[in-house]
Amino acid sequence: MQRRELFAATAAAAMTSPAVAQAPRILRFVPQANLTSLDPIWTTANVTRNHAYMVYDTLYGLDAEFNARPQMASGHSIEDGGKRITITLRAGLRWHDGERVTAADCVQSLVRWMRRNPSGQQLARQLDELVAVDDTSFRFRLKKPFPLLFSALASPVNPAPFMMPERIAATDAFQQIREAIGSGPFKFNSREYNSGSLVVYERNGDYVPNPQGRPSFTAGPKVANFDRIEWRIITDAATATAALQTGEIDWFEQPPPEIQQLLRRNRNITQEPIDPLPLSAILRFNFLHGPFDKKEMRQAILPAVNQADYMSAVVGTDPALIRTGVGVFTPGTPLASDVGLEALTGPRSIDRAKALLRDAGYTNQLIRLIGPTDILAPAAITQVAGDMFRRLGVNLDFVLTDWGTVVQRRASREPIERGGWNVFLTSFSSTDFMDPAGHFPLRGSGANSWPGWPTVPRLEELRDAWFDAPDLDAQKAIARDMQRTAMDEVPFIPVGAYMSVTAHRSNLRDRVPGFALFWNLRRA
Amino acid sequence: MWAYIIRRVLATIPVMAFVALFVFSLLYLAPGDPAAVIAGDQATPDDVERIRASLGLDRPYLVRFSEWVFRILQGDLGTSIFTNLPVGHMIAQRIEPTLSLMIVTLCLALSIAIPMGVVAAWKQGTWIDRAVMGFAVLGFSVPVFVVGYLLAYVFALELDWFPVQGYTPFAQGFFPWIENLVLPAVALGGVYIALIARITRATMLEVLQQDYIRTARAKGAGQSSILFLHALKNAAVPIVTVVGIGIALLIGGAVVTESVFAIPGLGRLTVDAILRRDYPVIQGVVLLFSFVYVLVNLGIDLLYTFLDPRIRY
Repeated sequence: MQRRELFAATAAAAMTSPAVAQAPRILRFVPQANLTSLDPIWTTANVTRNHAYMVYDTLYGLDAEFNARPQMASGHSIEDGGKRITITLRAGLRWHDGERVTAADCVQSLVRWMRRNPSGQQLARQLDELVAVDDTSFRFRLKKPFPLLFSALASPVNPAPFMMPERIAATDAFQQIREAIGSGPFKFNSREYNSGSLVVYERNGDYVPNPQGRPSFTAGPKVANFDRIEWRIITDAATATAALQTGEIDWFEQPPPEIQQLLRRNRNITQEPIDPLPLSAILRFNFLHGPFDKKEMRQAILPAVNQADYMSAVVGTDPALIRTGVGVFTPGTPLASDVGLEALTGPRSIDRAKALLRDAGYTNQLIRLIGPTDILAPAAITQVAGDMFRRLGVNLDFVLTDWGTVVQRRASREPIERGGWNVFLTSFSSTDFMDPAGHFPLRGSGANSWPGWPTVPRLEELRDAWFDAPDLDAQKAIARDMQRTAMDEVPFIPVGAYMSVTAHRSNLRDRVPGFALFWNLRRA
Repeated sequence: MWAYIIRRVLATIPVMAFVALFVFSLLYLAPGDPAAVIAGDQATPDDVERIRASLGLDRPYLVRFSEWVFRILQGDLGTSIFTNLPVGHMIAQRIEPTLSLMIVTLCLALSIAIPMGVVAAWKQGTWIDRAVMGFAVLGFSVPVFVVGYLLAYVFALELDWFPVQGYTPFAQGFFPWIENLVLPAVALGGVYIALIARITRATMLEVLQQDYIRTARAKGAGQSSILFLHALKNAAVPIVTVVGIGIALLIGGAVVTESVFAIPGLGRLTVDAILRRDYPVIQGVVLLFSFVYVLVNLGIDLLYTFLDPRIRY
């Protein structure tokens, strides 16, 4: 107990009668960013996804072994060779406004989700009909089987398929919803919401945890052990750290590396990877303009990339936090492999890269590297890339701005002389690179691709084949082929993966690993 | 007098109109696209375009500007692109912490800086004078965030006298309210104290050379009476002017202080909005700050007439 708390408690004890009322259990948490939007379908911000997992529930959850498990669903039936699937809801589900959860609510929620999520869009293309059969069950009728249906319904990839009341889910997918009413274990307190300062959740007393299984990532029973959870938006890491040390907050989601070193000395604070899987970082090329419109130019950079350099810039030199020899999928997930990675795992050589650049016809064209200064990981890896390009002796234009400007500038397809770009770097959460569905840098659909706009038809064919793959072995074979193709065409270079560390008071127990999840968590 | 006040109030209209035009144009020309930020990494160019259209960002400059001005004239500052909340509501949520911080800082600064300046002038050339001026140089030189971190480290982390961060509304009691504001106000007040102390000293030195001060001494007036009744009153006009100018310093400093101490005020709202390119919020807050600044200046001008009866408008 802190000195000020002790004084306050003593004073309060002196003034109050020996009442028996129990103090509410409150958890104070500092999220990685401000919660600006409450709509997890409209925005792809991870902080909104974390908010959504408190307020909303999903039909299926994903366990730590990447299996889809029924969550709001009690079960399903598959008929007509996988073309007719009926999902039945658990009994007793209620929205936070007291209304019953119906199949029509879920159908409308899925329709909205299918507009924005890549797996959902693929599902929509194969869908003949999605209808509510009765109040508690609804049916998919498909043109052809969609083996990944349950994985898609369980996937935490943004935007995840959160269930909302029909009247709210009827909102256009490109417009924000105005109410945060779900059926999840916590209720959003709209009265106290002060964006940029405070977000409050209260325990949903009517929530009936899934009776099946054990808490595992987003699957299993979600038991709320806190009556009130306060997200305190503290943008300054030093202030959040001091507040954690004094006990003013219980959990600081994402302390930067220099802060982690400081906190290691404090026995009241525990630090651990928030997710058992690492985040992946990439160097992205622009295929539209020279010199990286040529495959040989992109390949020439590979021998210069040392993944350890990039990762130690992000998390320091602790080997436990760094993954190297990383390919296009998240290390530790079923589709990850080392196929085709020889160009990244062999001896590193700037001289060899220089020679390859010369052979590829590099004649001192301007190379514009754009990157941010205000977001930790992308800023750090951009600096390493800047150093790498300088050592390669290229004609480098190194442009650093804030992240908002990078996001706008990288969307520009203009030539370099009109403000366009050649290279940028960024990082993705573990779930984004778990499979080809939400893996945007791995798309090869040209103008419709993510910035960089690579045209690699083979990648698109393989992605389509992956959606149709009947089992995990077939998916793995396709994933290996995709990695081989990606390492040959080089739409991007994986520059490593790193563990994101979280810090909390040591008396917090039973945290569910993954991201900031609040069920099961309790104070000892 | 009333004619003057009405003239001055009317004169704020073109000033505010210019500020509105300037702010809107600056944001229009600034790089960064909120639609791209909202759409996220997974969006196709079509998605970004749809979001841009839904936010009305694809319309011509003049159309957007005239719509914005029309709404402002009706008292509607618009809706935040990101939170979907009315800007007026967001500002209302943030006014109390910022106002509290400014009031406490102002009280602290005036109660420390003016006696410091007076004493420094009285003891000109002594170690007291040099100490006060040394403090003033320090106050100007050390950035607010450095002072803030130092105070937080010593008085919150080590001594545990004050909380590290946060804000408690006044409605929840005076002590919880002031407890959260002491460290931020001291951090923010440093530069303000330095400014006021210097100008007080300089003005007092000039006034203390005047004939009427010699007359007061000849009449046998006491030292404190000479300093605070005769000299300070006549030195008040430049001091009040600097206090007014310093409001701009406070507004700028509040942005940093609110970030360091996690105070949910208008400063942090502005920074967050700028980083996200939340245009309606930036425009609303800048317009409000400009309006406040214009009003403060008007208030200072009116105060002159009370401090110096020779001044007439």
